[in-house]
Amino acid sequence: MRYIKLYFTCLKRAIISRLQYKADSIIGIIGFLISNTATLLSIYFIIDAIPSLNGWSIYELGFLYGFSMMPVAFDHFFSDELWNTAYWKIKNGKLDPFFLRPIPVLFQIIAEAVQPEAFGELILGGVMLGICAANVGVKWSFGLILLLVIATIFGGILITGIKIFFAAFALKFKRSGTLLQGVYNMIGYTRYPISIYPLILRTLLTCILPFAVIITMPVEAVLFSAFNPYLLSLLIIGVAGAVLVLSVLFWNWMERFYQSTGS
Amino acid sequence: MIEIKNLTKIFKKPIRKEGILGMFATLFSRKYEEITAVNDISLTIDDGEIIGYIGANGAGKSTTIKMMCGILTPTSGTVTIDGVEPYKKRRQVAQNIGVVFGQKTQLWWDIPLIESFKVFKEIYQVPDKEYKERMDFLCQLLGINEFMNQPVRTLSLGQRMRADLAAAWLHNPKILFLDEPTIGLDVLVKENIRKAIKTMNQKYSTTVILTTHDMKDIENLCSRIVMIENGKIIYDGSLSKIKESFGDIRTIYVTLNYVPQLDKLNTFDGKVTYDYRDGGLAIKFNAQQIKVESVVDYAFHTLRANDFKISEISIEDVVKSILKKQNEKS
Repeated sequence: MRYIKLYFTCLKRAIISRLQYKADSIIGIIGFLISNTATLLSIYFIIDAIPSLNGWSIYELGFLYGFSMMPVAFDHFFSDELWNTAYWKIKNGKLDPFFLRPIPVLFQIIAEAVQPEAFGELILGGVMLGICAANVGVKWSFGLILLLVIATIFGGILITGIKIFFAAFALKFKRSGTLLQGVYNMIGYTRYPISIYPLILRTLLTCILPFAVIITMPVEAVLFSAFNPYLLSLLIIGVAGAVLVLSVLFWNWMERFYQSTGS
Repeated sequence: MIEIKNLTKIFKKPIRKEGILGMFATLFSRKYEEITAVNDISLTIDDGEIIGYIGANGAGKSTTIKMMCGILTPTSGTVTIDGVEPYKKRRQVAQNIGVVFGQKTQLWWDIPLIESFKVFKEIYQVPDKEYKERMDFLCQLLGINEFMNQPVRTLSLGQRMRADLAAAWLHNPKILFLDEPTIGLDVLVKENIRKAIKTMNQKYSTTVILTTHDMKDIENLCSRIVMIENGKIIYDGSLSKIKESFGDIRTIYVTLNYVPQLDKLNTFDGKVTYDYRDGGLAIKFNAQQIKVESVVDYAFHTLRANDFKISEISIEDVVKSILKKQNEKS
C-alpha cells in the first residue's frame, strides 16, 4: 500500500519532468510517427509483392503487426528507465543515490520515468488492429477481447521482466545495454508469423524468450481459433508472473555485486 | 555510534596496454593490478561529533565514506553503524543516514525544488507535522525559500548545494555524510553552510562526517579531525593539537622587482624560510615563534616588496608536514 502511494508520488514527479521539455516531447512524437510509417510502408510494399506469407493474408499480417505493438507500448510506458540503467547509469555512478535511500533500488528505477509517447503506440496499434480485424471479419467474443487485454498487460509485464533480467547484469559488469538491446530486438521477430522461421528460432521465441506466447499465440487464437482464449490467458499470466518473479530475484541477487565508482 | 575495524578496500584493475591493439589484449588478459585505497583503518565515532575527515585527493576519503554508507563493500574489516553493517543491510541503515556528495546532486534535475522535497518526504515517510516544522526551519536556516519553485537545473551551485543539504536533513538522519559540501562555493555561501551545519548539529545532535579541502571548514566546525594519506590514518585528534605540534604556519607572498639572493636574506635565526619562484618570494614562518609584524616590516622596508599576500596553513601543508615527521621518525 505504501509503495502504491509512493509510486503515484514518483509518477507525478516523472510527468512533471517530462512536461518541462515540450519541444522534446513533440520531437519524440514526430520521430515515432516517422519510424512507424516507414515500417508500415515497407511491410505494405513487401506484402504487396507477395500477397500472402505462409498462408497469412495482408490483413492478418496487419492484425499481427498492430497487436505486437501493444504489449511493447505497455512496457515502454512504465519501465523505460531500465535502458538508461543498463547503458550508462551504473557506469557513471548515477545509481549511487538510489542505493542510499530506504526503498528498493528496482522500484526507484521503475518509478524514475514514464514515457507518455507509449500512449501513441498503444493507439496506433489498436487502430491498425481494429481496421485489419474488420477486414478479416473476426468474430469477437468476450473471451477473445479478454485474451487481448490480458496479453497486452501481462505481455508488457513479461517484457519488463526480461528487461529487468538483462539490465541486472549491469549491476556487476557496469554495462549491459548492448546485451539488453539484442534480447529486446528479438521482439521484432514476432511481428511476422513465426511459422516462417527455422525450428531453433521458433523454440527460442516460445520457450526461452517467450515473446511468441504473448504476441503470436493470442493473435492465432483470434484469427484461426488455434487456442482456447481462457486457457491461453491463464498461460500468459502464469508465464509473465514467473518471468517477473525470477527477474526480480535475479536483480536482488545481483545487487550484492554492486560497487560504486572510486571517486 | 560508528565503529570501523581494520577496514581495507582493494580495487582490482586490469592492467591496460596503450592503443587499440593493447585494448584488445586487455580484454583477454587476466592480469590485474591491485590498488589499496583504504588500508587497515580503525576508528570510532561517537554520536553528535563533527569529524573532519581530511586528506589529499586520492587518499581514500571517498572510498571510506562510501563503505560507511553502504555503497561499497569492504575487501576486509567491518563498518558498523549502531551495530549494523551498512553494506549488508543497506535499506535499514539508509533511513538513519543523510548523504551529500558535493559533486553530485540527489535532487531531480528537471523539476521545481519543492517537488523533490515532496518525493523525499514520501520516500523517508516523514510525518506531515514534522515535515512542515523541519521545512520551515531549514528554509530559514539555508534561505532556500526564494528558489523553492525553480527547477533544480536553473539553480546556481551555491543554491543547489543548500538545497541538497536541506534534502539530506529532511528525514532528520542520525548521521550526515558531507563529501566536500563547500567545494566551488563563494565565501558567503560557505559561511552560510557552515553555520547551518553547526546549528543542525546542536539542535538535533546529528553526527556529521565531513570531508573537505578547506581549512576554514575544519577550524569552524570540527572538534576532531582524522587525517588519511595513502589509505592509512596518519592523525586522529583535535585541531588545536595539530596547530600546537606544527605551529601556526603562515606564508607571505611578495613580489619584488629584482631577483633576491636567498642566502643573503635575514632568516631571523632560522625561523623564516624563503622560496623564490617566478618573480615572487614566499616567506614561510611560524607565527608562534616570530611576530607577523616583524616579518611584514622586513619584507616591506628591507626587501622593498611591492605586492603582498598572506595565507595560513593549508591542509596539504599539514599533511605534508605530518608525513615528513613520520618519515623522520622511522
